[in-house]
Amino acid sequence: MSNLIEVRGLSKSYQKARGMFSRHTVLALSNVSFSLAAGQTLAIVGETGSGKSTLAKLLVGIEQPDSGEILLAGQQLNCADYQKTNHLIRYIFQDAARSLDPNQKIANILHDVLRYSTVLSFEQRERKIADTLKLLGLLNEHGNYYPHMFSGGQLQRVALARALILDPKILILDEALTALDPSLRAQIVNLLLELQQKTGLAYLLITNQLRLVRHIADQTLVLHKGISLDYGDTSAVFENPQHEYSRKLMKSIEY
Amino acid sequence: MQLLDIRNLTLELSTPDGMIRAVDRVNLSLKEGEVRGLVGESGSGKSLIAKAIMGVLHERWKVSADRFNWCGQDLLRLPYHEQRRIISRDIAMIYQEPSRSMDPTSPIGEQLAEAIPDHLLEGSWWQRGYYRKKRAIALLHKVGIRDHAAVLNSYPYQLSEGVCQKIMIAMAIAKSPKLLIADEPTTALESTTQAQLFRLLASFNQLKGTSILLISHELETVARNTDTLSVLYCGQLVEAGDTATLLKHPLHPYTHALIKSVPEFQPDLGFKQQLYALHGSIPTLQHLPIGCRLGPRCPNARKECVKTPLFERQQNHYFSCHFPLSGKTNE
Repeated sequence: MSNLIEVRGLSKSYQKARGMFSRHTVLALSNVSFSLAAGQTLAIVGETGSGKSTLAKLLVGIEQPDSGEILLAGQQLNCADYQKTNHLIRYIFQDAARSLDPNQKIANILHDVLRYSTVLSFEQRERKIADTLKLLGLLNEHGNYYPHMFSGGQLQRVALARALILDPKILILDEALTALDPSLRAQIVNLLLELQQKTGLAYLLITNQLRLVRHIADQTLVLHKGISLDYGDTSAVFENPQHEYSRKLMKSIEY
Repeated sequence: MQLLDIRNLTLELSTPDGMIRAVDRVNLSLKEGEVRGLVGESGSGKSLIAKAIMGVLHERWKVSADRFNWCGQDLLRLPYHEQRRIISRDIAMIYQEPSRSMDPTSPIGEQLAEAIPDHLLEGSWWQRGYYRKKRAIALLHKVGIRDHAAVLNSYPYQLSEGVCQKIMIAMAIAKSPKLLIADEPTTALESTTQAQLFRLLASFNQLKGTSILLISHELETVARNTDTLSVLYCGQLVEAGDTATLLKHPLHPYTHALIKSVPEFQPDLGFKQQLYALHGSIPTLQHLPIGCRLGPRCPNARKECVKTPLFERQQNHYFSCHFPLSGKTNE
């Protein structure tokens, strides 16, 4: 089985100034490795400050790693090739309402994405937008709406549309399901599962909700203070965690 | 003893488009020592009800109720000062987003000391300062903060969300309230801290007999930690009853959908299988459907549903639906 993305020994540290001359380094990630195949879901769990979001930022190329490599379909990923890879890995933010431009219509937002990353003509873009909206269960007229005219669940769909319009291979969901209401969350989870079956999309799910992880993730990675503790199949990690911290985390599910 | 007894609570807001009824005839009752959960989606009026109980709603809201009893006294018919006195003595609330609801300009020690009422302090007036500080430290220990010296001197922004939440609880229990309202206490927290917090709330309930009203949108956590449950949808109370029976035999389609959408309550659900979800989304307050507000999304809605269903009772299980899922009609 070929891996879509493979991460080997990824490390990242931040420098912080302390006083006028001295600085101290904060180790955000140290020596994290994992791989993800098409059609699979990897969940990354851990508390705040465990380096979850740093990992996501490194993968999409917002930040450069100190050491280690990211292989995308066997090829090394560089920050400099951002233009080449940005349509393969897409990122969805926590709060859909705040990550969309309130001054632009949905169609314009989607047009911009296509204009910057593809060479499609206007008509082709229009067709692509119509297809994507349909895929996500939105109507064509929704393109003329502004973000504030949507409800929470629909906004999350629009955010998904913005990510999926470039036909990515990997979707990073950074706490994207946390803020949703239960019935809307079930809708979005269904949508994600359906898309995965249809298109073989791989998800990197960064979340705190362990119960959801157990339902939809194939593999789980437990991060704690930048170090990966447990990594393996979800059922194995949940039933038989190796480290003290993971054990505590898994036990907390019972409350 | 019945602590809180609210009948037909209605909260209305007048807007340029007319009156908006955000909470529509909700009943709520709490016994002494009871832990009640209040579940609903965002915008269903959970927080509004909590604020109405605390009496801190903005004056633009019109609060009306047939009965709004606290320990047998109707709060709405009392003069304002009397009302404030009773509420501040007996009811405490833990607000959403703890780090934002504390004063950012003064250290924790001062804020916590302020929350301790005089009549709970021993000693004469010149010893008050000393006892107040001592009690603040004791409160911090009680909520599980060991390093009290560092916490008392820091400002809210210097502390993590979990610690802030614990301090909020310390402030709330400082006056040993009879009722503690916890409004979404776990949304900002990690799952390990969540577990700690629920243990803490449960211990107050058991040791001191404090009643707790737990407000949340996550059914699974509420179900684990409560005795009774009320389910709200769009400002209407759809179902209320014992948590266990309600989860086992939901009578209202919304409760049913809510339970089925949680993978944890569905042991037969296969890995990566589709979850059960109602189609459509929650209506906005400006465009509420008439009658039963679930109507347009309900799988078994019929013509009668344009009339608001009455609140019916089956033993201790209350529901408001013309066509309950099981029971009644079959019997």
